[in-house]
Amino acid sequence: MRAMTPKRLLVSVAGILLPLLCWWYATDVARLVSPFILPAPSAVLDGLTRISGGYMGSSLTGHFVASLSVMLTGYLLALLVGVPLGVAMAWFPAVDRLFGPLLMVLRPIPPPAWIPLAILWFGIGLSGKVFIVFVAAVVPVLVNAYVGCREVPPNLIAAGRTLGARNRTILLEIVLPSAAPVILTGARISLGIAWATIVAAELVVADRGFGFLIMNGYRNFEANIMAGGMLLIGAVGVLMNIGFILVERVLLRWNHREPQDE
Amino acid sequence: MSHSIVYKDVSMSFGHGKNRVEALSPTNFEIGDQEFLMIVGPSGCGKSTLLHITAGLMKPTTGEVRLDGMPITGPGPDKALVFQNFSLFPWKTVRENVEFGLRINGISRAERRERVAKYIRLTGLEGFEDHYPRQLSGGMQQRVAIARSFVMRPRVLLMDEPFAALDAQNRTIMQEELVKIWAEQRTAVLFITHAVEEAVYLADRIMVMSRRPGRIKEIIDVNAVTGPEHWRTRALNDVAADSRFQALRHQVWESVRSEISGDERH
Repeated sequence: MRAMTPKRLLVSVAGILLPLLCWWYATDVARLVSPFILPAPSAVLDGLTRISGGYMGSSLTGHFVASLSVMLTGYLLALLVGVPLGVAMAWFPAVDRLFGPLLMVLRPIPPPAWIPLAILWFGIGLSGKVFIVFVAAVVPVLVNAYVGCREVPPNLIAAGRTLGARNRTILLEIVLPSAAPVILTGARISLGIAWATIVAAELVVADRGFGFLIMNGYRNFEANIMAGGMLLIGAVGVLMNIGFILVERVLLRWNHREPQDE
Repeated sequence: MSHSIVYKDVSMSFGHGKNRVEALSPTNFEIGDQEFLMIVGPSGCGKSTLLHITAGLMKPTTGEVRLDGMPITGPGPDKALVFQNFSLFPWKTVRENVEFGLRINGISRAERRERVAKYIRLTGLEGFEDHYPRQLSGGMQQRVAIARSFVMRPRVLLMDEPFAALDAQNRTIMQEELVKIWAEQRTAVLFITHAVEEAVYLADRIMVMSRRPGRIKEIIDVNAVTGPEHWRTRALNDVAADSRFQALRHQVWESVRSEISGDERH
């Protein structure tokens, strides 16, 4: 990323402030749009205050925890299955031949298409939503683990072998560290997808969570609750992504370009 | 001269049927115990193939290579390889890169520390032990690669155009440094290069290879020209002024050039 000079920062801040200003003008000041279609910023703030004071039987924390816990469960399952399976498919041709064709068929099915099946199998409880998040999140994790391990520079493996490394050492000390940046990128993409998917699942069946907030606001003609829920989802998504990038920076210290010493 | 590496009818072909390409014709030669042998030849003459066969990374189509009488069947730390693109492990620091081979071969911690320190000092890497390869220039990275190979105390050191990616100044410095490091620990060296001057400066013998399918065109005994006091112990810049050096460089270059342009076949 380029360094943030004051001028560049100004452009970025303006990119957020200008739409907000237009929004405020179109609703609160000029009243160009009906509040049922687009609620004013003040109304959305009211909505957020109402949610934080407890909405439909849950506090804001309650809704947040409801969404997050289901999402994280499905996501962690996806990591636990996706990374080892992707690595195994890259490392053992037999595993690749066994799972490859099935994955090729399942991959193009978009995660929301699994929702009816999940309800049929798991009912409308937690496990159904965990399943959907898992299905959505496992794909990028698996694909990146596979590609990352496949694209290890052959010279590094040859270097390891000429230094006396056996298969186990090659896998653990050369293939996995070399693939780590790609695997972590997959995990970060997956986290975003998992978050989007839990919201989608809650739109269909839920009595709590951010997706439920949006759907309930829609059903009750409370556009401000709807918009408030959307803003919360966006904010949490941004924070998770920033958090993940910080983790990547610590784990992949070696991968950062720094000024050369010579 | 005792021979540490013996090549017997070693040849290599790739592909099958109509697509079959012969990269290396059956080849016979030996490398002496502490000999610095350099191979020059046009692109695609099979010199890299020969090196990879010696490393145990490729199996020859026919023939075999023996190291101290034992056939080479696979890669291992007795046949260290230095790559043109360095091939360091970017997630390991300089120290961890140099230590890697010792650690995975079960060398004790105390001996590892001592040997790593020695080769880091020999290659001029002191003060950079905790740097990652990305933080180093090309010349420094190749020092790490050389330390990583020498620290294994291999029977033979294989170098695949190790200085080709460096600029002219660094290349000269590294050639002189290599001589110093090698003087501390004489092993057989098989060194591949495109650079005729590099070959004439460093080699005991130069093997010129023909274009594909590669075969040994001629072997030039540099020692016979330099006498017992080899010129590689002096700075390259001084040696380059020596008329015997210039004559030999001219001879080798003509030999290589006729393979590139194909003069001999017209």
